[in-house]
Amino acid sequence: MKIKLLRSFMLVGAFICFGWAQAQEVSGTVSDANGPLPGASVVEKGTTNGTQTDFDGNFTINVGENATLVFSYVGFSTQEIAVNGQTNIDVLLTEDAQALDEVVIVGYGSSTKKEITSAVAVVDEEAFNKGTVNDASQLLQGKVAGLSIYNKGGNPNEDAVIRLRGISTVGANSEPLVVIDGVVGASLNNVDPNDIASVNVLKDGSAAAIYGTRGSSGVILVTTKRGTAGVTSVDYNGSLAVSTIANHVDVMSANEFAAAGGVDLGQRNDWLDLVTMDGTTKINNVAISGGDGNTSYRISGNFRNAQGILRNSGFKQYNTRASVTTFTLNDRLKIDFNMSYTKRKSRYGFNEALRYALLYNPTAPVFGADSPYDFDAATYGGYFETLGLFDSFNPVSIIQQNTNNGEKSEFTYSANFNFKIIDNWDLNAMISQQSSKLLNKEYYRTTSLWRGNASSPIRKGLARLYNEDQEFKLFELYSTYRTSIGRADITFTGGYSWQETTQYDYFLSMGDFPNDDLQYINALEWSQDLENAGFIDINSNASPEDRIIAFFGRASATFDNAIFFNASIRREGSTKFGANNRWATFPAVGIGADLNNYLNLNKIDLLKVRIGYGVTGALPSNNGLSKSLYEPADGRLSSNQLTDANPDLKWEEKAETNYGIEFAAGRLGATLDIYTRNVSDFILERDVDVTIYPTGRRWENAGELKSQGFELAVNYDILKSEELNYNSGIVLSRNKTTLEKYTIPQEMRGSLGAPGQNDTDMIRIKEGEEIGQIWGPVFTGEVVDGNQVLEDVNNDGQLLTAQNNALDPDGDFKVLGKGTPDFEIGWTNQLSYKNWDLNAFFRGAFGHSLINTYRAFYEPRVGSQGSYNFVNTELANPEITNAKFSSLYVEKADFFKLDNLSIGYTFDIKENDYVKGVRITASAQNLFTITNYTGSDPEPALQDRGSEADNGGFTSTAAFDPLIPGIDRRSNYFAARTFTLGLNVNF
Amino acid sequence: MKKNIFKILLMCSGAFFASCTDLEEDLIGEIDNAVSIVEASSDFEGGGNGGNDALSVAYSQLRSSGSANHGGYWSIQSVSTDEMAVTQKGGDWYDGGIWIDMHRHTYGPSNGPIDGTWSQTYTAIAACNDLLATSLDANQTAQIRVLRALFYFRLLDLYGRVKIITSTGTDAPQSTRLQVFNFVESELLAAIGIPSVTASMDLSNSPLGVDVNPYRVNQYAALGLLSKLYLNAEVYTGTPRYTEAANAASYVIDNSGYILCGEGCSVPNPGKRPAVDTDPDELEGYAAVFAPNNQDNPEIIWSIAYDAATGGGMNFHVMSLHYSSQFTWNFENQPWNGYSALEDFYNSYDDDDARKAASFIVGQQYDYNGSAILDYAATDGELELNYTPDINELEPNASRKGGARLGKFSNRLFQRQEMDNDMPIIRLGELYLIRAEGMARATGDWSMAAADVNTIRARAGLDAMTTIDADSFLAERGREMFMEATRRQDLIRFGKYDDPWWEKTNSDAYKSLFPIPQPQIDAAQGTLTQNPGY
Repeated sequence: MKIKLLRSFMLVGAFICFGWAQAQEVSGTVSDANGPLPGASVVEKGTTNGTQTDFDGNFTINVGENATLVFSYVGFSTQEIAVNGQTNIDVLLTEDAQALDEVVIVGYGSSTKKEITSAVAVVDEEAFNKGTVNDASQLLQGKVAGLSIYNKGGNPNEDAVIRLRGISTVGANSEPLVVIDGVVGASLNNVDPNDIASVNVLKDGSAAAIYGTRGSSGVILVTTKRGTAGVTSVDYNGSLAVSTIANHVDVMSANEFAAAGGVDLGQRNDWLDLVTMDGTTKINNVAISGGDGNTSYRISGNFRNAQGILRNSGFKQYNTRASVTTFTLNDRLKIDFNMSYTKRKSRYGFNEALRYALLYNPTAPVFGADSPYDFDAATYGGYFETLGLFDSFNPVSIIQQNTNNGEKSEFTYSANFNFKIIDNWDLNAMISQQSSKLLNKEYYRTTSLWRGNASSPIRKGLARLYNEDQEFKLFELYSTYRTSIGRADITFTGGYSWQETTQYDYFLSMGDFPNDDLQYINALEWSQDLENAGFIDINSNASPEDRIIAFFGRASATFDNAIFFNASIRREGSTKFGANNRWATFPAVGIGADLNNYLNLNKIDLLKVRIGYGVTGALPSNNGLSKSLYEPADGRLSSNQLTDANPDLKWEEKAETNYGIEFAAGRLGATLDIYTRNVSDFILERDVDVTIYPTGRRWENAGELKSQGFELAVNYDILKSEELNYNSGIVLSRNKTTLEKYTIPQEMRGSLGAPGQNDTDMIRIKEGEEIGQIWGPVFTGEVVDGNQVLEDVNNDGQLLTAQNNALDPDGDFKVLGKGTPDFEIGWTNQLSYKNWDLNAFFRGAFGHSLINTYRAFYEPRVGSQGSYNFVNTELANPEITNAKFSSLYVEKADFFKLDNLSIGYTFDIKENDYVKGVRITASAQNLFTITNYTGSDPEPALQDRGSEADNGGFTSTAAFDPLIPGIDRRSNYFAARTFTLGLNVNF
Repeated sequence: MKKNIFKILLMCSGAFFASCTDLEEDLIGEIDNAVSIVEASSDFEGGGNGGNDALSVAYSQLRSSGSANHGGYWSIQSVSTDEMAVTQKGGDWYDGGIWIDMHRHTYGPSNGPIDGTWSQTYTAIAACNDLLATSLDANQTAQIRVLRALFYFRLLDLYGRVKIITSTGTDAPQSTRLQVFNFVESELLAAIGIPSVTASMDLSNSPLGVDVNPYRVNQYAALGLLSKLYLNAEVYTGTPRYTEAANAASYVIDNSGYILCGEGCSVPNPGKRPAVDTDPDELEGYAAVFAPNNQDNPEIIWSIAYDAATGGGMNFHVMSLHYSSQFTWNFENQPWNGYSALEDFYNSYDDDDARKAASFIVGQQYDYNGSAILDYAATDGELELNYTPDINELEPNASRKGGARLGKFSNRLFQRQEMDNDMPIIRLGELYLIRAEGMARATGDWSMAAADVNTIRARAGLDAMTTIDADSFLAERGREMFMEATRRQDLIRFGKYDDPWWEKTNSDAYKSLFPIPQPQIDAAQGTLTQNPGY
């Protein structure tokens, strides 16, 4: 058998070699209606042998005499021309504005755009967001209808929150699945934005169902750039950016504060100024690509050095990525190899410093030496502290004395083997491994009041260490068979997927250090806590081997090149469920038709309608949910039950129906998608009857969500000529999610927090109502004795506005707003004139509200707390001297912003110069925002982690809760405005 | 050719699928059953709740059920009374109005602490049930039945109509208050090994022992708990059981070796500042019973072991004191400035009453070195940190320095977030008061209470009362039991819980039972109904 195989390969190989022996040179020019087309791709069909046209559209290539050349260029119809002994081939490519034949990567294969029967959006490099982009998701922000990406405040060390079509699960699995070059579940942090060629977003269930389990929140398919054989190219991108605070919450100046009756400590400081700065970001990328014969490669190095607007925050990162593609066994076996390594050293800094900078007494001195009264400055590292006030710390001391650093490294490799068994049948095997390591180190000096316990004589200084190792392995095998029956082209795909994730982490916290000679995080043996082990906090955890295993299949058929049919099924199992519910089946079906094929309407290129239906799943975030778990208690001599088992926990399922219309006519293209989705048995940790379940909390299949929405994308070439081009595109989306069924009729979540506003839950979760209702008492506008007069909402003559009455039928509460937006819009404008190009991208969201927590805490002129600064927005009512949550602090946060403006100039480079291309760009991000919101950033808060720590406590590490959107917490970073200069040189 | 390749593929995949559809979850970083470890020795204070035996898993629930910290059992038992309040100090301590509601008796079924107390208590009961399902000896079983009875006693007292669960994972119908009372009574009698409490009862066959160990239940602890149950029986069931209350208390007073901690009963003062001469070197008598080093106090029959490092759950110092009081004892953490005593309650003490100085922190405060502490955040112009017994208002702008602070569980220098003082559940002092009240109510003659009340008064350095009535008895009991979470029971038993007091006018009788928490009614899906009135 083996010998037979080998023999046949050799035969084919000999044939190919024979062909090459007859090689000849072909040259020519590629042009379009406007003239020569530089940079067009010329590839010998079925090989990686290829070249690109030079600036004048000329090319030269050595090919076999029976070869066929494939000419392609983004936005133009691809042409194939058989060489047939010709030595000169001139080609005129015609524009294909809507690129109907463009190949679109879908799960486990590819398709042409026309054939797709589901909602799939493609964003390529040209359309990516410009400027300083450190996080791959930012490339897409606002570009895909229905894809919400928000990094509220824009902390460079935080990942953006990504939601597709609103909330699709209430569990931790609410972010889309990321697939990078076929690696399912890969980390978006391990791909540098500069290495991304294109991104496809599978929006609806019928497209995502092939990914089963984790497809519910959508799938983002990332394709990285690859080299082209025969063209050696060196590409350099460099940029320098400066970020400044775009907006913050208005507080009183020192003079205003003193005049308003605040405690005057004699100095005049702008604390925000003292803890922030203009951050610079430097990015350098070099990529070398090329190849020879059957092999092509691309290697890139990416270096980033970012400073945040918060002093002592930012990161340095280097990333390297290598990809090799080779054809062997007579071109029957294609091997793709990818490798990527990222190392990021972060200075997280302390977001808390921003919060304290706003509320710290603006008349307080920075240093203890300037104190108006006796102050033991040495104890506090020379800094002044307002001792005796709750939750008030010198922000300069926080950032100058303490460190909060982290190192993260990620390594991924993947190898994909595609073997063509026969011409229309191939077999694909993929193996991939990813390992990531995270090490976070915090050190609080013995002289830091904040977390360092400086005022305690017996316990000073604190060191915290967190280490995490993650491993991820993936093996997938699938086969594709294509055939034609009559007028139908049919493709079958079937395969198997095996994935395993393991994690190990440990946490260490100890204090009581001798002095500040060292950063004792690096010398923990000096901790006095070692003498009293009860004060050391140690925790380690190893996950089980967390596996997902699946079998999947798909059939797609095209009739007449006008009617398209797709059906897929995935049978998938996970270790996270109890034995009876491990496996589930996720089917999908889609059908589409190009009506114009039959109607033949004048000037219409495409009129396609399609319907897709698909079922996807969602996994719970935790392991061990089918068992009861215990933690040590009581001097480690006994245990406390930690969780209650739910052996019946089963898959959450999302069934989605998507109706789409695609339209193209000349310069105009439009796509409309309308969908409904039902999420049933969603998985949530919730209160259960404590009389039966000892911990009173359990993960359960707790209810149903229903979403409806639409997405519209319109694109139009307004101007199109040789020198002047203007293209404008709008994406618009609307989504509404209702809690159809819940295990209890209603509940309140999302507490405001300390000081003084604990047990003040602000978001109502109610069966039959929309997700994210802000629920509270209504301020009438009248103030009596410093108290807000609240409205008797139900007019029953009694006023019930304490938290206790929030869900009381007689309570005077109502919906004050909604945390999620009604509409989101992205408006892209691309203008080019000769060598100049201009990009303006506007983005907006409408209909959402935010609870401005800074105002709720610090805007009332609370007499007995007159040592905090007062928040002083235009909505401030100085008569109010008593803090109470009400409609007064819920603000409409509609916004429309110029998110990105960039201008570029491409230099004319003479032929045969050493340099092939030079381009410079200047861009500005977040240039202006139109909004009435008085907080620092009107972007929606899509999820919440609960009230922030106060008085030096540590922020919860609890998972984000997507059921409570709409709370703008005090721990958020402040939005930045960034100006970037960029240089691109191609050698 | 094609066929062969297909065969190979099939073979490969066959081998593959057999080993690669394995989805068994193997938890290697978690323990999925309860653990009790018996260690030969342990030298930290409290020693894993005092006994290194297999029972720690249940006894530790005393600490995690809110017995001495903020927001749980202790808080709702105390803030709902005339002992103390959590005032709203401007932007601080509003917290959705829950503490104002608690003080004014305007609480309802959504009150968070009322819900939290329910959950914590049932979690504790589950730990007892789980332990009882293992193989324990007769003594251990009896101890855990008493412990579980304590938690049901709390539910009986707070909510009345609850589910009696005796096995984890099984549901039970909601019982009447009478049924819950009967259950607690029968459990205690069974654990003690007697059919009923009489003056001449014989405990010689009791599975419970008589050895002194404040962290484990002996016969006296169980009888003490039973006497508290009988004392309140009329409230719970309508049937008075005062004689039995008096007999149970009397048995302990007469037969055990516990003594009232009076003159000569002292411990070194862990809160003594070296530079401050007025700080006593020793804590004597009443003050010693509640000191940070009270673990060997001869008055304590049963207590909850708290320890700064290994047994957290008592936080009175941070709950009550002003932020700047941190510098008096140089606490590790800043206090929260929450709870303070009501002025009338503070003033009910005679100045000569040793319990007054031992129970409250008032007046100008001084730091570790004896210098006056100033409050630089003060906006009233009065910089001195001076606790005044008077409080200007409950809300919204109560003085940051108003109200005597809770000081009975006294402070240790450099105390961390968690305190070291043990919290008595049963102590001899209270048993004297139970016997006094039991005899007085059984006979209808308050003079019957005089002897025991005067024993208590004498320990406090006070003259004997010559005449005594219900009101003066209640006041005396209040002074003795301040901060020990009995005031709500006492006010209800004396018919005064509905009375008005400072900043409280509500007189709804139904408020003497807390509501069944709404989240629990929701979670129970129809198996729990609300208490009347709510």
